[in-house]
Amino acid sequence: MMPVAADRAIAAGGPLGSTSRTPRPATAPTEARGLQRDEVSLLVSDGAGHHHATFLDLATFLQPGDLLVVNDSATLAARLPLRASAGPGVLHLATRFTRDLWLAEPRWSPERQGPLPLVPGEPVEVAGSEARMVAPYPGQPRLWFVRVDGDAAMARAGAPIRYAHVDHDQPLERYQTVFARLPGSAEMPSAGRAFSRRALDRLREAGVLTAPLTLHTSVSSLEHDGGPLAHDSLPPEPFEVPRSTADAVNHAGAQGRRVIAIGTSVVRALESAFADGLVHPGGGFTRRVLHPARRPAVVDGLLTGFHEPRSTHLALLTALAGEATVCDAYDVAARGPYLWHEFGDLHLLLPPREREATNAR
Amino acid sequence: MNTSRTNDVEPAPVHRVALVTGASRGLGATVASFLAATGHHLVIDARSVDALHASAEALRSHGGAVAEVPGDVADADHRRRLVDAARELGGLDLLVNNASTLGASPLPRLADLTAETLRRTLEVNLVAPLALLRAALPLLTERRGLVVNVSSDAAIGGYEGWGGYGASKAALDLATRTLAAELAPTGVAAVAVDPGDLRTELHQRAYPGEDIGDRPEPRVTLPFWAWLFAQPGSAVNGQRFHAQEDVWLRAPELLGELFGAAVVVE
Repeated sequence: MMPVAADRAIAAGGPLGSTSRTPRPATAPTEARGLQRDEVSLLVSDGAGHHHATFLDLATFLQPGDLLVVNDSATLAARLPLRASAGPGVLHLATRFTRDLWLAEPRWSPERQGPLPLVPGEPVEVAGSEARMVAPYPGQPRLWFVRVDGDAAMARAGAPIRYAHVDHDQPLERYQTVFARLPGSAEMPSAGRAFSRRALDRLREAGVLTAPLTLHTSVSSLEHDGGPLAHDSLPPEPFEVPRSTADAVNHAGAQGRRVIAIGTSVVRALESAFADGLVHPGGGFTRRVLHPARRPAVVDGLLTGFHEPRSTHLALLTALAGEATVCDAYDVAARGPYLWHEFGDLHLLLPPREREATNAR
Repeated sequence: MNTSRTNDVEPAPVHRVALVTGASRGLGATVASFLAATGHHLVIDARSVDALHASAEALRSHGGAVAEVPGDVADADHRRRLVDAARELGGLDLLVNNASTLGASPLPRLADLTAETLRRTLEVNLVAPLALLRAALPLLTERRGLVVNVSSDAAIGGYEGWGGYGASKAALDLATRTLAAELAPTGVAAVAVDPGDLRTELHQRAYPGEDIGDRPEPRVTLPFWAWLFAQPGSAVNGQRFHAQEDVWLRAPELLGELFGAAVVVE
């Protein structure tokens, strides 16, 4: 197996580089490791300290009235066989613009990234059908606009995107969360993966509320080499916040109840829909990046996986919880039994208790 | 949108047709190139015959038809020829009013701007796009097309030297909103797009002799155009977009149509 790109990024240092140890990736889904999805480990960082738990205990760290906002995007079978003049490869569909225009990442193989030597206008074959390279994404030569009937190609020959840290291909249902409703994500919104019917029942019994939104995730591979965090070289992602969810979030905010995002995609969607002190219903495409200089205004807490150094995910975590807390948590996680990546363990970041006290009704 | 079919025969593909003014270089060339690469037939114009021809040849390599119509958008006969060319290609889905004049270079104080330069600036940047739309409206109505008026942050900024150009773009912004309201019942949509500072000849003329190499190339706006052209007109009608921004929003009343599915209300 090739070393995961994260190792190189850690070796290169950068934000959290000095405090993070080499992460251990989850190389297979929980189901293949003899665990239920809701039995993954949970690290809870609440500003006062770090607590070890399992995901099924989530409700014990929450309060009645807490609002969990979840992403109901379903994962696509976005990996397709590609044949270009440079040779055979794979095409990872990242984002659908129209039926026959996609942003996509051509790679040599699931394990070996591009860029491939391609030219604008070049005809290629995707899953056996004719397609055409349109133009590289500005500032991101590994990502291309491609004219391809992506839906038809996925129906014929699609498989879930798999990077080198996962040992074997897995069926698509292992990349779907219990919330998955609208297909469109290149990669699973993985913070929702641990939720099961019984976990949701426990949350409901504890008085915890949930509300959905949609953000279709793009490919994550682009920033694993420690790329820039500026928005203009990141691919835009489609999102939509339903009116019922915007209302629920605004209501919670007005009452001092906590809004907890299930996944970084939820934070980005809510922040993109936020203006003039409120979350507005609606949607569009977003490239918004959150970092300590642009802190989240809507969410109080976040449930997420363990992320690679220098990724936008990690910048978002530090924006929410502060660099000291995140560094500390990652030290704890690296020493503990925690597993990284989409099939790995989870991390709940909650605001410090002082803040809870001032927010309490 | 589902159209019911009475038999299994696929209809002959109808090419989308786009008209882009000022397409020989800069932002116009970038937009035209993206449209050609995504399967549009094109009508393009520019004042320089040679530069326009070179652009058209490059666009033809994508396989679509390209009508090159050299001339000045401020000339009514030229505008008529542009619309005729679109009609010959089958109709018009998209009008991109991109051709603009800066006015004077270097940019004078507004108090020093000659009436002649101001008149020419308004003629090219405001009167011409509206006159071209008027000429093209029957074709655009047939296809429920989209009008894109290229604006500028000078329309809002009050920047020194940019008064004449900015006034023409501010007026174009207002015209865009008015068109959006007036044309909505016909299905034709209108948007204004501020592309942001770009490394273009127009921008260089605003700062003669200065290095503008820190401004991004026009292709940084490609993701925005790809998004905009994928939207139904009703989702964007009347809006003013920043092409280099990090969020582009659809009209909120179209909630639930983003992914072609109804939102389930819990």
